[in-house]
Amino acid sequence: MGGGGWAFRSIGEAQTVGLARILIIEDDPETATEIADCLSAGGFSPEVSADGDEGLARALGEPFDAITLDRMLPGRDGLEVLRALRQAGSEAPVLMVSALGDVDDRVTGLRAGGDDYVVKPFAPAELLARLEVILRRRGPREDLKIAVSDLELDLVRREARRGGRRIELLPTEFKLLEYMMRNAGQTLSRRMIFEEVWEYYFDPGTNLIDVHVGRLRRKIDAGDGPPLFHTERGIGYRIDAP
Amino acid sequence: MRLRDLTRTSTFRLSLLYGLIFAFGLVSLLGLVYARSAIYLTHRVDGILATETDALARAPPGELERRIDEAASLGGDRTSIFGLFTADRRRIAGNLAAEPPGLTPGGPAVETPPSRAFPAPARLIARRLPQGEVLVVGRDVSQLQEMRSIIAGALIWSGAAVISIGLACGIALSLPPLRRLRRLQAACEDIAAGDLTRRLPTRTPGDELDTFAATVNYMLDEVERLMGEVKGAAETIAHDLRTPLTRARAQLHRLSQTPGAAPGELVRVTAELDDVLERFRVLMRISELEAHGRLSGFTQADLSGLVADAADLYQPLAEAGGVSLAWSAPAGVTAPADPKLLFEAVSNLLDNAIKFAGPGGRVDLALEDGPVQIVVTDTGPGIPATERAAVLQRFYRIERDRVKPGSGLGLSIVAAILRLHRFELRLEDAAPGLRAVIDCAPPTGART
Repeated sequence: MGGGGWAFRSIGEAQTVGLARILIIEDDPETATEIADCLSAGGFSPEVSADGDEGLARALGEPFDAITLDRMLPGRDGLEVLRALRQAGSEAPVLMVSALGDVDDRVTGLRAGGDDYVVKPFAPAELLARLEVILRRRGPREDLKIAVSDLELDLVRREARRGGRRIELLPTEFKLLEYMMRNAGQTLSRRMIFEEVWEYYFDPGTNLIDVHVGRLRRKIDAGDGPPLFHTERGIGYRIDAP
Repeated sequence: MRLRDLTRTSTFRLSLLYGLIFAFGLVSLLGLVYARSAIYLTHRVDGILATETDALARAPPGELERRIDEAASLGGDRTSIFGLFTADRRRIAGNLAAEPPGLTPGGPAVETPPSRAFPAPARLIARRLPQGEVLVVGRDVSQLQEMRSIIAGALIWSGAAVISIGLACGIALSLPPLRRLRRLQAACEDIAAGDLTRRLPTRTPGDELDTFAATVNYMLDEVERLMGEVKGAAETIAHDLRTPLTRARAQLHRLSQTPGAAPGELVRVTAELDDVLERFRVLMRISELEAHGRLSGFTQADLSGLVADAADLYQPLAEAGGVSLAWSAPAGVTAPADPKLLFEAVSNLLDNAIKFAGPGGRVDLALEDGPVQIVVTDTGPGIPATERAAVLQRFYRIERDRVKPGSGLGLSIVAAILRLHRFELRLEDAAPGLRAVIDCAPPTGART
């Protein structure tokens, strides 16, 4: 709910705008502390609720910018909480956090109204990256063109130009660039990229995503202009205006 | 349900055996009745014939012809036969046209078919009189023969009826147990395929089969509990260690960024941690796959597209590693599979192949139609024949490949995924290198 949080673009900016409030619904105190620490470090203001009923009441009663929701909770299951939340008309972005990593579990979680799904155990950076993306991903996606600095992506003609220079892209490269440009300014983890662009949910393990991003990067940042691709070491990649 | 399956059931065989024994008993009974009644009736006829012959033979010689004609005309229904013949077989009196052949005077009664002498089947007895004439006395026995054939008919029909009823009962009685057996078999196959939550169906009050199924279910409860404990322990270890290791890795990473750190050392330690994390990833993924049990995403998967996508995904990685990746796939090849999982399996094979092929090496990904197979061939060092089965188990790695982090581990994920599909994974010598074959249509009956 509360719209204030969506405006910020990066962790640094968030602190100047005001801390985004995140509700953590998680019954395991250790995991809850872990998530809360990670969110505090990322510039959010986390609050923990240890059971489903209380969490639902708080989510409906107070303005939170986003919610992380454990899939399995005592009393009221995470999925039920999510359904009840959506039925009550709440549109707060929800990040499902679950030990169940199966495609089925993911699909049920997203169908019930979740915005993203992260499997335990996760790196703190992964959680933060996903949370920031869902905090921004609220508007309809009806653009015909996306632009970051002098890089333009024409979604109708399916072509990319940088400063007038046309860049030949393979279909996968186009999808990858579109995803990164839509989330310009956001750090995207390798796993997020793999899930979004290729739509597979296993851990590709090796530096598979790195080589794909690397290849695209060489095409985009080939000219004289300042580089638009940025590597967040240990986390992933980001496209951003210089 | 095929008839062949039916005839193999013990119920069917028992029913058939009972049917045969009963049929045999019935046929014996009817045979006895037939034999006794036929003998009795024949005896009676023979007795009457003997009495009549005696009576006629005692008649005074002049009276005999008249008596015979009288007796023959009295038997206007022509059921009685009388005949007096000279020694040279000429007819003197009676209603018998000629002396039937095969009749010995003083001998036993003889049955003759309808003939010129008498137009119906008859039983005849002959006696030579003191003057040399031959006296023949007989009876029309067509009724007797009819009765015999009625008894024989009843015997044949009732035998046939008993056998066919027995057969029908056998089939009817075998069907329900066979269906139950099928249900038990289906449940057992699901359990063997990894669905340990499945139980054999039982009924209350149950018979001996239900008692047995209940015992098996109890055994399965125990197996599931123990498996759960083992799996739980493994998962807890993996999960609990993975989190602090991930943190340690992040800390190492931050440390390597600080000025004055020894980067070489840190990179080595990070690589070690990555290796451990990779092992945990594999362990947990296999646990997940094994918990998966049945394939919910099962569909007629487009293998041609899947192979093309996998090649597309790994092409840049191969290029970056100096490996040439070639692929071929005929269009429109499908197989019953969970495409996401099968893609993961092919990805793991490609990932391994690229790692093992090394710079300057070559990897071939090929989809083959009829029999449907996905083949990944690399020009790497291959796997010694003695170790090929072992690499498919959790965590096994060949000793000499320890230098490459994470290599080979993916094969156990591939094996787990293919087990779910009931596809076969074969590792062959590509001389040099390894050829991994996913056989999407293994011979049926291998596991059923």
